[in-house]
Parts: sequence; structure tokens; C-alpha cells
Amino acid sequence: MYLLVPILRHKNSMETKSTSNYLLIPIAIVIAGVIIAGAVYAGIRTPTQGSAQRPQAVAQGSGDLEKMTAVSKSDHIRGNPDAPVKIVEYSDTECPFCKRFHETMRNVMDEYGPSGKVAWVYRHFPLDQLHPKADKEAEALECAGELGGNEAFWKYADRLFEVTPANNGLDAAELPNIAKFIGLDVQEFNTCLSSGKWAAHVEEDTQNAMATGGSGTPWSIIVAANGKKFELSGAQPEATVKQLIELALKEK
Amino acid sequence: MLIQALYKVFRQPAYTIVAFVSGATVFALAVWLPNLPLIIRVMGHTDASLKDKIGLPLSLLGSITTNFSVFSGVLTIAIAILFGINLAMFAYYLKYRVALVQRGGIATGFLGVVSGVLGTGCAACGSFVLMSGFSLVGASGALAILPFGGAEFGLLGVALLIASIIITAMYIQNPAVCSINP
Repeated sequence: MYLLVPILRHKNSMETKSTSNYLLIPIAIVIAGVIIAGAVYAGIRTPTQGSAQRPQAVAQGSGDLEKMTAVSKSDHIRGNPDAPVKIVEYSDTECPFCKRFHETMRNVMDEYGPSGKVAWVYRHFPLDQLHPKADKEAEALECAGELGGNEAFWKYADRLFEVTPANNGLDAAELPNIAKFIGLDVQEFNTCLSSGKWAAHVEEDTQNAMATGGSGTPWSIIVAANGKKFELSGAQPEATVKQLIELALKEK
Repeated sequence: MLIQALYKVFRQPAYTIVAFVSGATVFALAVWLPNLPLIIRVMGHTDASLKDKIGLPLSLLGSITTNFSVFSGVLTIAIAILFGINLAMFAYYLKYRVALVQRGGIATGFLGVVSGVLGTGCAACGSFVLMSGFSLVGASGALAILPFGGAEFGLLGVALLIASIIITAMYIQNPAVCSINP
């Protein structure tokens, strides 16, 4: 009201110019208020159960890294399974940042893999509200692993990330095509995929990602030989990943 | 009017520094936001060398190209630049207002100066100060949620900052008096 009083008093044309100036201020305040309210709302809202409302590349979770399920033989590991540094990545095959980070990790493994210093562990974290197709694609990865072992799992992952346009853009018909491309029996693959036998495993990985504090993808945890953990949220640059590896390698 | 105001403010190196430092800070915070817990962890890590402690935050700045879409990356940079310009112009305006109020003998002491700046003069001047403050908070809020995909707030933030810069320029160029109606 304080702001409006001068406006109401102005009547002539000269005052109209002043009035328009005065109007800018309350309008700006209203817009600012909307932005602040939106920012506060987005900042304080907590993710609902399951994977709803999880963004692609932000981690502000309140989880505990120590809740990460220990790396075991049942994991999909690229590189030396006994490497002193393990990078456990929770990923969504339809997330564009995961697609980008997959390439980053391949480059990292090209450099650190041959020496056996670093292992890359792949776990599922499909954001099904954003990418409804990602759940089934995660199951497809597991089916590839079941039918062709660890090597087939990684070949399937590499090919899937290569062909998907991301953002839920991969045609489901491509899943058996990828299986065929990497040399799997398509009929067996389809049987496995349609059974939904790996859905519970994918959900377990998802729950574990959230328990460790992941609220977006890619969500990675770098584990040193002494068990020290460093969390990395999002598709960070290769230089950052390498710095964290070097830091983790110092931990004996 | 805007160009003249910008020239008036940024011909003084101090305000250019204010704009650069505040803009760079906003940019860094926006980029680091998803990994603040990691940065804090590494900073407090006894085995991490000084090189690690400096190198990690610096390398994370590169995530503007890897962890942002083109749209949100451009918005983030635009907001950081506009924030810096806005803050420098607001600082210039405040200094100008403080000097004016002090000359007028309205306020004595720091609190008097502050209340004078915020509360004296015409309604538009007082609310202008509040509005600028709101716009800064709004921009920060918008940046805080950008990595969450809140690009719509980023656009609003850009619009608000541009409006704020234009309005600040108007007040810098115009005398801080209320016109008397004939």
C-alpha cells in the first residue's frame, strides 16, 4: 500500500511517466518473490520414495557413504577386481549426463585400467519418473551379463550408451538388436528380458544409491584401498576423476 | 542511459573488481553446488596436499561443459555476469545515496546512515533498495536450483537481473529526489 499511494495521486501525463517507474518496483518485487518462493520450494522439498523427483545431476542427499553395498564378485567390474581404487558408479542408461560420463570413465580406464590400479564398478540407478525406459534397459544389461558374462555386460553397456539418444529416446526394439550386435542369442535375451527376473536387483541397486546419498545420476563413489570413500556427483570432467583417483591411491 | 550509467560505474576499477569477484563467486558456487560435500571432505582431508586442495575445486569448474546442458550452462554464465554487474551498480548507487544522505544531515552514525538509505526519500527510492536486495536473493535462489533442472527460474533470474540493472542505471543517472507535481 505504501508503494501504491504515490501512484494513486498522480494524474497528469508527466506523472504517468513517474507512475510507470513506480510500477516497475512492485512488479520486480513480485517477480523476485515468485523466484524466491520457487527456489525455496525446490530447495527444501524432499524426494518422494522410490525414484520420483530425482534430478539427473545433483546430489544433496543426506545418505551415508558407508551404507554402500560392498563390492563383490556379483558386481559388474571393468578392470582389476582387486584394484586398490574402485569407482562405483550408479548410472541411468537414459540420462544424458551418464552417457557423457560413460565416455569419461572409458577414457579413465584406458589410462588406469592396464596398470590394475583402478576398477570400474557399474550399478543401476534408473530415474524412472524422468526416464521410464531406463528400468527395462537396466534389466537388459543384467540379461546380457547373465547370458554372456561380465564381458557381455560391458559390451552391452558400451553399445547401449553409444546408440541411445538419451532422455528416454531409445526405442525398446533396439534392446534385442544390441544383444544381437554383441553376439548374444536374441531369443534367450528376449526371454530373460520379458521375465522381469532382474527387476528386483535393479531396485536394490537404486535403493543402495539413495542410501549412500545419491539423489541424481551419475552418482559415483571412489573407494580407496583402506576403505576411505569420496563421493562424486554428476558428469564431472576427466581431470576431476583423475585427481580423486590419485588422492585415493595415496590412501594405504 | 544504461550505457552512460555502466560507464560511470565501471570507469572506477574498484567496481569492476567487485563485479568480477562477485560474478566469479556466483559462478563457482553454482558449478560446485552438487559436489560441495566432496570439496569440504577434501579440504579437511589430512592426506590431501595443497595441490589437491586447490586442484580439485579448479578442475570441478570444468563441469560447466560436462555437467550442464548448453542451455543451463549459458544461463548460469549469464546469471553470474549479470549478478556481478548488478552488485557493482548497486554498490555504486548505495555509496552515492549514503553520501547524499550524510550531506543532508539526516542520518548520524552507521545505523542512521543505513536507515537513512533504506527509509528516507520518496517511497520509490526506499523500495528501490529493497527491490535490489530481493533481486540479488532471487538470483542466488535461481542459481541454487539451476543444476536441479530449474531452468525456468534461471530465465526469470536473468530477466530480473536485467530489469534490476536497468532500474539501477535509471537511479544512478537521475537525481535522487522526488518530483513535485505541478
